Amino acid sequence: MTDNFIPSKSTPREAGDAKRRRDRVRKLRGFFRSLSSHALISFVGLFFLIPFLWMVLTAFKSTQDVFHTPPRWLPYDNVLVDVDGEKLPLYNVQTNDGVRQLAAAAIVEGVGTFVDPANPAVQMEYKIQRGEVKIAEPIMRVHFNWKNFPDAMERGSRPGVGASFWVYFKNSLVIAFISIVGTLLSNTPVAYAFARIKFPGRDLLFIVILATMMLPYQVTMIPLYLFFNDFLGWGNSFLPLVVPTFFANAYDVFLLRQFFRTIPEEMCDAARVDGASEWQIFTRLIIPLSVPVLATVTVFTFLWAWNDFTGPLLFLTSPKNFTMALGLQDFQGQRTMVWNQLMAASVVFTVPIIIAFFFAQKTFIQGIKLTGSKE
Amino acid sequence: MDKLRAKGRSWNWSPKFRKWGARERANFWIGMVFLLPWTIGFLVFTLYPMAASLVYSFSIYHPKAPLEWAGLQNYAGLLNDKLFWKSLYNTLYMVVIGVPVTLLVSFFCAVLLNLKVRGQSIYRVIYFLPSIVPTVASVILWLWILNPNAGILNTLLGYVGIQGPNWMSNPAWSKPGLILLGMWGMGGTIVIYLSGLQDVPTSLLEAAELDGANWWQRLWTVTVPMVSPITLFNLITGVIAQFQYFAQAYVFRGTQNLGYPLNSTLFYSVYLYQNAFLWLKMGYASAMAWVLFIIILICTILLLKVSERFTYYAG
Repeated sequence: MTDNFIPSKSTPREAGDAKRRRDRVRKLRGFFRSLSSHALISFVGLFFLIPFLWMVLTAFKSTQDVFHTPPRWLPYDNVLVDVDGEKLPLYNVQTNDGVRQLAAAAIVEGVGTFVDPANPAVQMEYKIQRGEVKIAEPIMRVHFNWKNFPDAMERGSRPGVGASFWVYFKNSLVIAFISIVGTLLSNTPVAYAFARIKFPGRDLLFIVILATMMLPYQVTMIPLYLFFNDFLGWGNSFLPLVVPTFFANAYDVFLLRQFFRTIPEEMCDAARVDGASEWQIFTRLIIPLSVPVLATVTVFTFLWAWNDFTGPLLFLTSPKNFTMALGLQDFQGQRTMVWNQLMAASVVFTVPIIIAFFFAQKTFIQGIKLTGSKE
Repeated sequence: MDKLRAKGRSWNWSPKFRKWGARERANFWIGMVFLLPWTIGFLVFTLYPMAASLVYSFSIYHPKAPLEWAGLQNYAGLLNDKLFWKSLYNTLYMVVIGVPVTLLVSFFCAVLLNLKVRGQSIYRVIYFLPSIVPTVASVILWLWILNPNAGILNTLLGYVGIQGPNWMSNPAWSKPGLILLGMWGMGGTIVIYLSGLQDVPTSLLEAAELDGANWWQRLWTVTVPMVSPITLFNLITGVIAQFQYFAQAYVFRGTQNLGYPLNSTLFYSVYLYQNAFLWLKMGYASAMAWVLFIIILICTILLLKVSERFTYYAG
């Protein structure tokens, strides 16, 4: 636009050529700029993407493939052949007649016994580790080991206790569900009182509620533990985890109050003039108008309950009551690391949240902007 | 108060209460009914535990034995406790190094996600997704990624000719490993920065461009000051969260090896947990909790005071 004001001595034709050239340069520059943007964003994105992929891919690996060095991206497994009704792994074996594909019948202490799948009666014996390196090499193929998922879920964190990850999964769901009910029931009236009922002392109380946000949980943790565990005898039950959700918390009260305040005051006043009680205004007017923020609270309560580790760690002692978070930690604490199953259980633990995210992306983002974090 | 009593009136909540009209008084009681869930919760789950914790912190208290008043003994004991100082050092490491690094990188990521390119929504999902992976799952995943031999991080470093450290058993690298884990899940911080970046008025950026400012100058002189309130918010929430750092460190080493290697992952809350629930020194742990509260309080106030000079609020 500014070009029009600059007196030009060139003929219209030259000006047109120059403009075309400028356009081409600008287009080219734009193309390279967007290309470099994409490259940069993707490169940084790898930091977020690779661990995620690594979790999912490890979940599909076989137990011996997990520790393959150097690590491979895709899950590999032995190629198996059917020999007399038995599935045996196929090997590339160096024999006197050259390299042949044979099935391993047994590999024990450096001695391998192989059979020819076409002719199972013929058995051959090889000393694998006697200076003769690479005599037999397993034939691998890319194979997604789906069985890791049921295997992981059907075992518990401690073998022989009888509680599986399915039980932990169910426990997590139950705790999350009750927490959502408690949070919605208790926080909405409190937030309504702070948002719309004018009563003396309200602002002072609101400052108190905000101040409790500052208090680190470590301060209240020990007396609450003794209160629930020793005084009420609620140890090793869900009660210490879910009962407090029925008594409101500062974050949700704050979040809901901020939303309720955006509902026009005139609507409440009009209802009051018509003789509606505060309870009627709250249940018939405010609640139906607040579905978006209630959805946010629901999603974030689910996220919080599903993710919580410290609460279950303090109160749940027997494996049949473990949540997914606690069970997974307990599983990890065992001496042998079954990484593929650990990753499979982690994927199952993560999937409900991913599903929730894709159903309620807006709610997630909104909640983060409002509360500042996921916790 | 004395005046009221002298006149033979009963004292009633506050002296002002009598001046309220009928409407206010009715509203007060209605309000109280609506507030009931919080009032009970506050008394039982906040006020009582605070008071009890304060009493414990001045006592020697084992849950199976009667409470024994000890005065300042617990607090004095902290001063001579080498592990206490070690745990405080570890925690400060996460606060002083972990938080600023994470903030800087998440601001950079938000700037990237704010560029006008196609498919940006897909990139945003990729950057955000790790932050919703449950804490325990993400710690276990990173234990696996940081595995010195079969882990993917050292393998990738090997591709570019770097010999990766033994992350989990080298005391110098265990905390950086945990910071990496935290950065992987910083999607929430990125989202907050991103919404701040989208609120920066384009008119300002265009004006700066007309004045001949290049991209870097526009970022430094317009964008960074405009999002400074968000930086302050992220800084304070980050500092408070890092002071309470617990679950990640706990899962990282498990009950048997808390603090391994060489107490380099013995964070404040981990040591507090150890005192309270493994060694049942409830009084000592309560004293630690109060010291933590005071440290957090002082840091928050300091940050707010210092930031007054560096934060720009529009309007």
